[in-house]
Amino acid sequence: MTNESPPNNGPQSIWQSQKLEGIRMSADEIRLRARKFQRKILWRNAREYVAAFAVIVFFGFEFWRTTDTVTRAGFGLSSAGLLYVVWQLGRRGSSRNLPAEMGLVSGLEFHRRELERQRDLLQSVWRWYLGPLIPGWVVLMVGMARTNPGHLRHFGLTFTIFNLFAAFVFVLVWKINQRAARKLQRQIDELDALRGGELERPHGG
Amino acid sequence: MRAQTPTQDDLYQEAAETYGTALERLARAFEADPEERRDLLQDIHAALWRSFAGFKGRCSLRTWVYRVAHNVASSHVIRRRRTNSVALVGLEELESMTGESTVVLEADRQHALERLMALIQRLKPLERQVILSYLEGLDAASIGEITGISQANVATRIHRIKRILARRFQEEEHDDE
Repeated sequence: MTNESPPNNGPQSIWQSQKLEGIRMSADEIRLRARKFQRKILWRNAREYVAAFAVIVFFGFEFWRTTDTVTRAGFGLSSAGLLYVVWQLGRRGSSRNLPAEMGLVSGLEFHRRELERQRDLLQSVWRWYLGPLIPGWVVLMVGMARTNPGHLRHFGLTFTIFNLFAAFVFVLVWKINQRAARKLQRQIDELDALRGGELERPHGG
Repeated sequence: MRAQTPTQDDLYQEAAETYGTALERLARAFEADPEERRDLLQDIHAALWRSFAGFKGRCSLRTWVYRVAHNVASSHVIRRRRTNSVALVGLEELESMTGESTVVLEADRQHALERLMALIQRLKPLERQVILSYLEGLDAASIGEITGISQANVATRIHRIKRILARRFQEEEHDDE
């Protein structure tokens, strides 16, 4: 199953005879490492929820402070939207490849699945990231316009510029994600060309 | 009497003994930083151990080990690319790059190894898998099974790899000509 022996001074020989540290791991170390990996995932998810929770606490405070029903609804919807985004980020954002699957699929298929997952995440950014934040934002703005805080001069102008800027940021985020998704699609197409047109099924374990 | 089915620990032990050095070389090719490399190697070992819970023996142990190791290492490269601005290239682009001097392999093996490592680390993950498998001495059929690249494409890639290596790494007998 291997090529004939490489010449003593060929690149294969240089590669195979390199000095190594000879790192070995005992079964206990391996189990510890596997548990550490699981904990890392749990902590990463927890950090995202804590950050969202901090923002929601702030919204909750504002919700309690304001007397206007529409503004209150805005803060409530914004909190719900944010929670949804964080939940989706945890669900879609990280790779779900299990080690046993890594042995079942080839490098190409594994790489392709990962690129596809990232592409879909970027392509659907309206559905899970930008979209859920809009209802809260709109209702909040309506509430602000209704209550029209007296301390702001030229409220109408400031309000319009502020919202135009927010809309610009939303469109910009969407465009950047679309561009990144197209780039990933090109990489997927390159991989498909390497596969030689055959659709691969997971190989036996 | 039926032979006893190897346990997850038995399979891991066998894999670590047989392919331990190849896995260490693989980790070197995917990560230049010594600390990160150690981490990556441990991740590969942990993934291997966990993977053997689902190993049914329908492909060879070697194919399984290389697939898991390559896939863990490729994920590592993809994750690192988000913070690393160095652009990775394909074999075609690497072949068309000029300006690097040729290393005489026998004259300075350590320097040659460093150059070889630098060359591998510039490649995209899948191309890296092919060149590594070639350097480990695997044949085209095995490389195809591990990487999922069609036989014809593997053959073309190996041919290209040989051309790149021949241009950049001169073997001693060429000196005498």
